Amino acid sequence: MLNRSQAPAIHGIEHIAFVQPQINKLKNGVDLFWRNGIFNETSKIELHFKAGSCIEQPIVASLCAGLLISGTAHKNARQIQKALDALGAYYDVSLSQDEAIVSIYALKDQLLAAYTVFHESLFAATFPTKELQDLCAERRQKFLVQQEKVSFLAQRQFQKSLFANSVYAKQIQLEDYDNVSVTDLQAFHQKNYLKGLVEVFVVGDLQGADFQELQDLLNTYQKASFDAIDFDWQNEQGAIHLEQENALQSAVRIGRPLFNKTHPDFCDFSILNTILGDYFGSRLMSNIREDKGYTYGIGSYIVEHQNYGYFVIGTEVGVQTRTATFEEIQREFDRLKNELVPQEELALVQNYMLGQLLKSADGPYAMLDLFANVQQNGLGLDFYDQLIDRIRKITPERIQELAKRYLIWEEMLIISAG
Amino acid sequence: MISYESFTLNNGLRVLFHREPSSPMAVVNVLYDVGARDEDAERTGFAHLFEHLMFGGSKHIADFDAPLQAAGGQSNAFTSNDITNYYDILPAQNIDTALWLESDRMLSLAFTDKSLEVQRQVVIEEFKQRYLNQPYGDAWLHLRPLVYKKHPYRWATIGKNIKQIQEASMQEVKAFFKQHYHPGNAILCIIGNFELETIKQKVAHYFGNIPAQKKATRKLTSEPPQKQFRTKTLIRKVPATAFYYAFRMGKRTDSDFYQADLLSDFLGNEKTSPLYIELKKKKKICAEITAYITASFDDGLFIISGKLQSGKTIEQLEAALWPLLEKTAAKAISKSSLNELKLKLRTSRAFQDQGLLNRAMNLAYFELLGSAQQLNKEAEKYQQIKTKDLQEFALQTFRKTNCSRLIIQSQQDAK
Repeated sequence: MLNRSQAPAIHGIEHIAFVQPQINKLKNGVDLFWRNGIFNETSKIELHFKAGSCIEQPIVASLCAGLLISGTAHKNARQIQKALDALGAYYDVSLSQDEAIVSIYALKDQLLAAYTVFHESLFAATFPTKELQDLCAERRQKFLVQQEKVSFLAQRQFQKSLFANSVYAKQIQLEDYDNVSVTDLQAFHQKNYLKGLVEVFVVGDLQGADFQELQDLLNTYQKASFDAIDFDWQNEQGAIHLEQENALQSAVRIGRPLFNKTHPDFCDFSILNTILGDYFGSRLMSNIREDKGYTYGIGSYIVEHQNYGYFVIGTEVGVQTRTATFEEIQREFDRLKNELVPQEELALVQNYMLGQLLKSADGPYAMLDLFANVQQNGLGLDFYDQLIDRIRKITPERIQELAKRYLIWEEMLIISAG
Repeated sequence: MISYESFTLNNGLRVLFHREPSSPMAVVNVLYDVGARDEDAERTGFAHLFEHLMFGGSKHIADFDAPLQAAGGQSNAFTSNDITNYYDILPAQNIDTALWLESDRMLSLAFTDKSLEVQRQVVIEEFKQRYLNQPYGDAWLHLRPLVYKKHPYRWATIGKNIKQIQEASMQEVKAFFKQHYHPGNAILCIIGNFELETIKQKVAHYFGNIPAQKKATRKLTSEPPQKQFRTKTLIRKVPATAFYYAFRMGKRTDSDFYQADLLSDFLGNEKTSPLYIELKKKKKICAEITAYITASFDDGLFIISGKLQSGKTIEQLEAALWPLLEKTAAKAISKSSLNELKLKLRTSRAFQDQGLLNRAMNLAYFELLGSAQQLNKEAEKYQQIKTKDLQEFALQTFRKTNCSRLIIQSQQDAK
């Protein structure tokens, strides 16, 4: 007979298999990471270029990424797109501060052909003036729309103050759209794409000949040369409020510089961060959403990068409850500093984190992302075994120690907009 | 091809099981046949508010999320105008935890006042965050009642306004549960590396003794055919004028759904579509323009929406857009274009099928539409479409009298 008040027994996770991709060193020195053994016909190629928004001017990086396959001497943007359409392929570019990441998705028999279309268009790119003007007009309007959003305003101010005076504080301004030329884009393209390939990731059961041909094409790039980025981290502290007339909610960003996974405190801090704000049952969610009803959602995150990491709490709350939300966040910091985390809560978070790690390693696409995540910091997959070990061995005392060291309200940058 | 087994419990619960030997995770997906279309016109937003309450504790379990998280899992849900869908993803060895939790909240909720009061506030903040405090965020709150006059699609899942959410009472919450949350109104879909017999035994164990209840007959007023062009203009402090053309079309199970879907891809594609090329690149009237369909269980909408470039007018848009749509109806698209659309669709479906959760949701969704078997026939239905089918759909759909137009005009442009 079923006793509904009795929870079923929970079985721990004994082992997580982290699968290493095949590594092919190209003649130009670039690493190509390949994961095959896929159970359906999907495939993907992902190229990382040293062409991120903070490498030079953000406006140039942003428009160049948007116009990579916008025309050559022989083909216009539409013809190039048509060629990709005919192969049933999808194409996407995303920009981080350091890198531009180009992804092409296609069925495995079409991947080489789709990549070839991209490759030829990229190498012969002319950046037609007309295309640049059109994109500037479009982006300018989108920028104006973004400026109406409190989340955008808060995030921008946060970036600006967190990275004050460093290369990472650079942001696109509205007037930049009037001051960018085709020559700027061409120079950036030569330097940071054709001579800026960092690494390549491929998923899919490509045939041997296709894979060989793909490597030959990739060999025509020059490997990116990395000058150490002169990164002087002088963040601002304290509160900045951007008043927005008639806003119903305030967007909030509270954070501080931290570290990435190369730091000895990283794993343990990520457990502390999960308890504080990185899952549905976290303390911030339980208190500020599920007890007070101030917000639709609140979370805390460790944002990682090649050269740095930072900690940030983000939420949107009713304008009237903004101050009360700040007080509750401080209260949660204090609780973590003054009281040991109860064993039951810690056990839940340990199991939760292991379960999420198991999920993150499930399937070739997820697994390759997990690999790329450590690869960018020069680490190997054994990092995850260490993380599992830390999750299993963490103590309430260690969590309290880290809370005292890092969750200091006076050291936080506190941005609100609305 | 997604293979699955299906069986039904004595209390009417329909169960689907798809075995995935390569994954260490399991998915438990519970779809309830209730959406915003089942709401009272004076209590809109209720199905969605109710979805929040489903996480506020059930008859024997104080907190839904904590035991699931302790088992290494996570959960979420969404509400649409047609359905409410809940899902749990967790390590496969702990599937019992998800079945225990889902079965207890199907049996009965805890109905605490605290949960109702807090979730009411959370939903009001969600209303602000997603609809009221965003530029153009309230477009659909105005577009729906412009198109639908009788059918409950005339309100959005978030509800008509905050006031109705404020007024929801515990008595109404209980009545809503009683009517819609029972085995005969649900479809349970499980994915994981299990034997069918194990699943049968576990499902019977947790769900078997939930009392059966008669499924209520849905009596919705169907939306009468539209007779004339409708238009509404809102003047707002936004940087650019936005437009939404909504054309009436059929429901998800109608055969012309597939034509509509392909045609919306054709018209909405970035860079290559005729709308993009003519209205954005050549005439420079639009800053952005796209097309899509609502894919709803009852009569749905084919939408063309976008934003004007600054200094351009709705009159200029009208003068250019209608002839383009007439052309789509007068001349079939090329065979090669159609093949491209089909191949792109095949690629995106293959990627969607990668994920366990997508497979679980899709199986349950198609089971509710008629049979999960239909999911595996979708590809063939798209393959059979011919260019003249798209042309016929365009002819029948892109008529001015079949269209409602919402404009969110920028104050600057209005001057």
